[in-house]
Amino acid sequence: MIAYNKTWLANLRLQDTLEKDLSAGCITKDEFAAIKEKYPVGFFTPSLFARVGLFILTCIVMFFIFGMIGLMGSSSQIFDSPLFPFFLGLISYAGLEVMVNVNHHYRSGVDDALLFISCCCFFAAVAMMFVVNNTNSNTIGLSAAFFLISLFLTIRCSDVLIGTVSCLCFFAWIFFSWTKIIPSGTATVPFIMMAVSAGGYWLSRRYHNKPALINYQNCLIISQIICLLTLYAAGNYYIIQTLGDELNGTSGKAVPFGAIFWVWTILLPFAYIFFGLKKKEAILLRTGLLLVAAAVATFRNYYHILPTDVALSIVGALLLGIAWGVMKYLKTPKHGFTYAEPDEANALDHLKVESLIIAETFSRAPAAPANDGVKFGGGDFGGGGSSESF
Amino acid sequence: MSELYDTLHAGGLISDESLEKIRQREVKPPLFHIHWEVKTILYVGILLLTTGLGLLIYENIDTIGHQFVLMLIAAICIGCFVYCFRLKLPFSTGKVNSPNVGFDYILLLACISFVIFVGYLQFEYKAFGTNYGLATLIPMLVLFFVAYYFDHLGILNMAIANLAIWMGVSVTPKQLLLNSDFDSETIIYTYLVLGIILISGAYATQHFNFKKHFKFSYQHYGVHVAFISLLAGYFHYYNSAIAMLWMLGIAALAFLIYRDAEKQRSFYFILLVILYSYVALCSLVVRLFTLDGNEGMIALLFLYFIASAIGLIFLLINLNKKFKTA
Repeated sequence: MIAYNKTWLANLRLQDTLEKDLSAGCITKDEFAAIKEKYPVGFFTPSLFARVGLFILTCIVMFFIFGMIGLMGSSSQIFDSPLFPFFLGLISYAGLEVMVNVNHHYRSGVDDALLFISCCCFFAAVAMMFVVNNTNSNTIGLSAAFFLISLFLTIRCSDVLIGTVSCLCFFAWIFFSWTKIIPSGTATVPFIMMAVSAGGYWLSRRYHNKPALINYQNCLIISQIICLLTLYAAGNYYIIQTLGDELNGTSGKAVPFGAIFWVWTILLPFAYIFFGLKKKEAILLRTGLLLVAAAVATFRNYYHILPTDVALSIVGALLLGIAWGVMKYLKTPKHGFTYAEPDEANALDHLKVESLIIAETFSRAPAAPANDGVKFGGGDFGGGGSSESF
Repeated sequence: MSELYDTLHAGGLISDESLEKIRQREVKPPLFHIHWEVKTILYVGILLLTTGLGLLIYENIDTIGHQFVLMLIAAICIGCFVYCFRLKLPFSTGKVNSPNVGFDYILLLACISFVIFVGYLQFEYKAFGTNYGLATLIPMLVLFFVAYYFDHLGILNMAIANLAIWMGVSVTPKQLLLNSDFDSETIIYTYLVLGIILISGAYATQHFNFKKHFKFSYQHYGVHVAFISLLAGYFHYYNSAIAMLWMLGIAALAFLIYRDAEKQRSFYFILLVILYSYVALCSLVVRLFTLDGNEGMIALLFLYFIASAIGLIFLLINLNKKFKTA
């Protein structure tokens, strides 16, 4: 089970809850201090910037340690064997266990880096084992092994990134198994993927608040997002057609039951948004908003109803109108919705991210007229930014 | 949830009064915040609309005519500025909040359309002739004025980027790393001057207590630019004795920024100082070890990297603890 001290994790959650109460003015500072005293957290968890720095430095240390080992063994031909990366992975994993259990690091950058490196090393070892040559590789075994490794690391560390990898590997495994083992699997695989991801979503939603899995809440939220995305991708017309061509060796072949998939492609994002608003779930709502963009992109890939410029202008105006309407409508909170900013201060606010993004997106605009004489600056300055922000 | 508070209350950790407050809050159903979503839609909408209109005009320029386009842009710009001037809160040297949520975006639109207007004028009618300095100076001054007058951080960042463009270089970290050619002396010196200007700007805002919250933006760009240009200078003059002067510059800068960051308790800048100084130190050590091309030196170099990085890790951990407790 999880490598970190469970009592401390529970205390950390308690402190987080009460910190919100403190900033909301429900409890006094003395009470909060007393609670902190009574329910201590012994983890070493530095601030965000220290975490980034420690991550980089740990990567440097591990890189040079691996280099030393490689240097020592360079005379014997250890590099060809999958045992070499496996050994390196074991070293980093051992380091991770020591840092977590002895030095009580928790999300400190050091444990993140070690986890990340050991995962990569194990993956490399497995890949060397399964990939015989580039054309004929055992993708089923590969994805299954990837899935098991990342699942194990997720269970140990409850890390969001590795959890994401684990989910993706799981879906890859299902996909490859179905298409390779089942006859005529290519035609049915969308439905299987839909069923599996819907099931995965249902399970992770059901269990993400259960006390037994409370330490894995973050991972289960991530798996909900991944499941929602795969559920959409499984029925997306473009993806099905591209993958079908890839597997059958055809090109541009129409998809059987195309109408169903078109309905799925267009309507599912809106269904997500609808249920997100109805159940007041941010995950569904945000995924839905994101996927509307995917739906539009898919649609435009096949049907060019309007020229790009007109379409962009209309959609932009429409979005502005929607945003403005919502803001007007929610001036006073209605039906349990509010437009007001959440109380909890975002950790990234210290970096003033928005202003930096504005600088990145718009700073090239004035440069264009001074530098080149081909295109003028007005036309193309927003293009890069708009695709980035999707 | 309420069990948790009951336990705390029974343990004497929460007073009756606080418990009552928490109870009252829990009776009310929590509101669902869609702030982030609406803001994103707004942002994307602006980007799409401006891109779309820009493309539209670009493709139909023959029928529309340049004067009409210029007038349109000017109208947008003036309209937005008028709105902002009418709605803004009174100026102060401290932080001024925007009167409503849309305000910041309208101001942004005003500034962007202004910049486009000037650029357009220059491109189509050569309003400034070949005097590119003037063509970039005017937007820069306007942007700085707007940033201070309306207290808009995003526009301050645009203004800083514009300052860099005016000096002939680019400043945002991405472009700094992507398109910059550090092999020319003029560029290195320009960057160095820019970095010094920005850092002094940061100190000035702090010292004169004038829009103190702008300090971060100045210092952020200033520190990156100054350190990168000093390192570039060191490598540019690698084989001559002047290289050591650049190293001294790095050391002095690191010392100054570190002292300031310690005072301001900003771990971000401490981290930057440590990482940039580490790069400088490593380049010195590598140079030392590779003076004679001995094979055994490489193993020693590896050991040095392992040991120094571990040392830095401990340093960071200790600094972090010091910052937390102090």
